[in-house]
Amino acid sequence: MGPGGARVMPSYLQAVNQVIASASAQIPNLVLYGENINTGSHICGMTRNLKTPPGGRLINVGNCELTHCGVGFGLMMAGVSSILFVKQLDFIVLGIDHFISTYNVVRAHRDPARLGSFTICVIVCDQGWQGPQSSFNALGDLCSLARVPGYALTNASDAARIVPAQLRAPGFRLIALSQRLFPTEALAPEVLADDGAGAVLQYSPGEDATIVCANFSFPHGWMLHQRLREQGMSAGVFGVNYVHPAPWQRILESVARTGRLIVLDDSKSVHLLGHSLLADVARQCPGARARLISREAEIDPGVCADQLAVEYEELASWVASGQPEPVAEAGR
Amino acid sequence: MSQAWASDELARQLLRLRYWQHVMNEALKHKRFTIPIHVAFGHEAIATAVSAAMQPEDQLVLTHRNMAYNLARAGNLTPLYEEYTLSPAGVGQGRLGSMNVANPAQGVEYASSILGNNISVACGLALAKQVKQQPGIVIVLTGDGAMEEGAFYEGVVFARSQRLRVLILVENNNYSMSSTIPQRRCPIAVDAICRAVNMPYWPLAGNDVMGYARALEEARSAIAQGQGPGCLEVQLSTLCQHAGPTPGWPTDPKCISLERGFIVEDTPNDPAFVLKQSLGADQFDALCDEVLDEQRAWAPAGRA
Repeated sequence: MGPGGARVMPSYLQAVNQVIASASAQIPNLVLYGENINTGSHICGMTRNLKTPPGGRLINVGNCELTHCGVGFGLMMAGVSSILFVKQLDFIVLGIDHFISTYNVVRAHRDPARLGSFTICVIVCDQGWQGPQSSFNALGDLCSLARVPGYALTNASDAARIVPAQLRAPGFRLIALSQRLFPTEALAPEVLADDGAGAVLQYSPGEDATIVCANFSFPHGWMLHQRLREQGMSAGVFGVNYVHPAPWQRILESVARTGRLIVLDDSKSVHLLGHSLLADVARQCPGARARLISREAEIDPGVCADQLAVEYEELASWVASGQPEPVAEAGR
Repeated sequence: MSQAWASDELARQLLRLRYWQHVMNEALKHKRFTIPIHVAFGHEAIATAVSAAMQPEDQLVLTHRNMAYNLARAGNLTPLYEEYTLSPAGVGQGRLGSMNVANPAQGVEYASSILGNNISVACGLALAKQVKQQPGIVIVLTGDGAMEEGAFYEGVVFARSQRLRVLILVENNNYSMSSTIPQRRCPIAVDAICRAVNMPYWPLAGNDVMGYARALEEARSAIAQGQGPGCLEVQLSTLCQHAGPTPGWPTDPKCISLERGFIVEDTPNDPAFVLKQSLGADQFDALCDEVLDEQRAWAPAGRA
């Protein structure tokens, strides 16, 4: 408890770290490995409090990300589960060969049920000011390249659902953390529905708009939801992850009911998850209106702040007015 | 080496590999496969020795040129031939092409067509042995081309750092596709790399299958005792074209045909030639006849 008995909410980093440490400690024979996993800051706090799992290993390894990724797939083939912790999504680019080539061979002929679980937990440096490098923020692009699932943890609730389940699941996936969110208070919204084991999470029902949050934009979506509520409106709020095919029927049903869709996506990808959703909405909810809030077409590659600009009041006015805007012309 | 692998059996196995590769090459000439295939004439001695040295708990990780090793492990032409025809009866149910053929039931866990990609996977398999406290070693193939990749160096450092029971087998055939080593890079002293990380190194050359088998057994034994990884570099010649049939075109200077007999080249580059020198012509010819009779008995009709 804090001063005056006020409840002190954990930070996003604390909440996610707690889930990872707790879940990983309970999986027999699990191999935890990564650079600086148990030294210094413990990868900015991501790997603090990790315990060697029963029968497993906790290995601080050298700087060779390509090899680390291959090792995970070798362990997977032998039926041993593992988690590779990586400081930056940028570093994972060095291991893409294994996501694509190695995992394709595994998937081509191995019994999926007998594979170990391989998860890469990685931090996305989306806090800004990193410069031309160390600012890669396009988890979905990596997932698309290799047709593998990816999960962007955005709050304590999605972390609590996604991490324990995925760390045990046979096969491979990426789980990404947002460094921008590290010091922020951990949001812990109630999860009303979970489709596809964390692929689509619904946090709120609503009648006036449907808000869909991709990548790490959930705090923006939740803020918009609260603004709408203050103005007497309600919105269905969803978080979506990079799982193909996307089980977003519940989103489509919400859009069909509300008639207004706002997609928030703070990734730097050119091909956004929201584009696919908008295409589906255009086909299945022809009368709906939609807005896509994403980054500017030109992103400064130099040192700069790194925030998605969201005009909450303008969006609230748009929802209130019901101003016509065909789906096909949405986005910017 | 087990009693089953007496020298005459090693010789017989080498000749079987040579015969089966002739069958594959003839099938390639007749365009019986739709997939790209890398035949491995000249690799029979080391492939025979590796397979002979492997114990049931050992695992093998291969490259795109995996034909000789897969044939040696399967002990049979049919599963690989069927795989190449994309048949569900193939060793990989017709789903792996040629460059990624694996046969876990016979210890072949993985094969990669990406140079350098397979060493880290082998490290993962070896780390799994540590975690599960299982015996055995992982043998991973690479080559003088693949070792130019940074992944080779990374894998060596990782295997040594974690004291993994991995034998890195460098097949040095002097070629990366059509480029020789002098045409593409400076020399690399593998022994010096091994010394730099305090890892044992065994050089092999000469294509003597009996000597190779003894060397593999020694290397395997050292690694199985848990002292960490080691590296064995074998000098060899790939006697066929990089991929596809040989000859690969009407004026191809290389010509391989079973009609000319088992031997492809009358030089020490050819393991079959070295075997003939070792056994003498009469014994060699008798063994060749024996293998031909044996194969005629169960080779699928009309295949070659």
